Amino acid sequence: MSTPAFGRPLPVDSLLHRRDPTVKVLVVLVVCLAITAVVDPVTPAALYLLAWPAAVLAGRIPPATLLRAHVPFVAFALSLLMVNAATRDGETIARLLAVDISAEGLTIGAGLAMRTLLIGIVSVTFVLTTDGARLMTSLHQHLRLSGRFAYAVLAGYRLLEQLPETWSTIRSAQAARDPRRRLQHPGHAPSARPKALAQAAFALLVTSLRRGERMSIALETRGLGAGPRTIAAPSDLRWADAVVAFVALGVTAAVLLTSWRLGLLRGLGELGVFG
Amino acid sequence: MSARGTTPARRRPVTLHDLVLLAVLAVVFGFLYWALVQVWGWMQVAMGPLGDLAQNVLVGGWMVVAPLALYIVRKPGSGIVVEIVASIVEVVFLASPVGPMLILVGLIQGAGAEVAFTATRYRRYGWWVFVASGITAALANLALGMVRFGWMGQDFFALRVGFQLASGIILCGLLAKVIGDALLRTGVLDNYAIGRAARETERSGGSSPADRSTASGTTVSGTPGTPGTSGTSETT
Repeated sequence: MSTPAFGRPLPVDSLLHRRDPTVKVLVVLVVCLAITAVVDPVTPAALYLLAWPAAVLAGRIPPATLLRAHVPFVAFALSLLMVNAATRDGETIARLLAVDISAEGLTIGAGLAMRTLLIGIVSVTFVLTTDGARLMTSLHQHLRLSGRFAYAVLAGYRLLEQLPETWSTIRSAQAARDPRRRLQHPGHAPSARPKALAQAAFALLVTSLRRGERMSIALETRGLGAGPRTIAAPSDLRWADAVVAFVALGVTAAVLLTSWRLGLLRGLGELGVFG
Repeated sequence: MSARGTTPARRRPVTLHDLVLLAVLAVVFGFLYWALVQVWGWMQVAMGPLGDLAQNVLVGGWMVVAPLALYIVRKPGSGIVVEIVASIVEVVFLASPVGPMLILVGLIQGAGAEVAFTATRYRRYGWWVFVASGITAALANLALGMVRFGWMGQDFFALRVGFQLASGIILCGLLAKVIGDALLRTGVLDNYAIGRAARETERSGGSSPADRSTASGTTVSGTPGTPGTSGTSETT
């Protein structure tokens, strides 16, 4: 977990922080869906390189934080690359440990890997610049998301923020009651056996459900979910939102177009999916 | 466990109470799914060229919340809703490597898991329904993988299918039933459809095995043999 607070944006103000969350989430969705239809490595790589300055300059995300957030995505991308290089049919270009590496597989694998990195940087930028509560308010306001649904998800979001704390409380309790640990290494980390972890996960689930039920009773007593209500801190759309969306989508379209003109763009048909 | 009899009064609409439960389940499981994605990434690397099969082994674990939510809330659509919210939690609040496509994946997996329960008109919750739910969820995910990753064109397609089905049955269907029964025993679900159903079974003298132990203080001590329900109370 690279972020200082769990499920929270970075505590700074930036161009991207100020944008309306609905607009941001729609832009992220469109970019990621568009890139999902592309399998060549160059196009997502170009977009990925363009995403860096956007995240660092417009989102004010420190490069070190952004790099650290890459770790899971890099592992994922690497595995996609290796798997496709090793398992796809095609012209063999090398043999590694009795595994044929095919040229087609390597290209497609590199494309999928770059796509993962691109999706990764876009998602991390979104998460690190967006407040969850504001997102739900904005979705309720602009996309007519049902109020009851929004309250429920927000209640869940509050729980999400408490999850790490609850988890460490449960684990500490486990450690405190583990006689083996107490005798041998006082102050040692809690047991990491699968059984202990499963028990802790179950306790976490029960605690969260109890807390959730209390929250829903509190919401119902206050009459939330009974009818339409006003919004305390509305997230109004501004011109800047339109400009940011236009720039982001325009750049994506331009890259796709350039790649197509240069003959580099390859679509989903190459995977042999539909034929 | 016992399948619910055929006398559930009018099915109540989804309440805020249910919705918050769904959201809480989605958040907790969204977090666990996210952790599972991290495990998956490293497992793929560790398994080398066979790494892509890791997801077929683990896939059931990403669908378990749908049958669990249906088991608890017993209302149409709750499996789909809870999977979608869990995927939203992963993508929007935790940043998943899979990206926003995951929301579509959640929809398909949730729908896949829910089909089995829809087939029983949300009335039966025996072990076999959960097995069927795991199978349908795995099949839905398999179809998705064929379109999304082109699994058809790759080696070891048969192996993938086998892993998917086994994982779906064990990690999705059966695990959901086990978690649901364990939660019921803690008494935390007394105010939801699953708790009401368990009390009703008990009141009508049904044999609800070990479910209502002394853990919960709210158990209604039913009169055994009350001719309350005309429904079948089959145990599996």
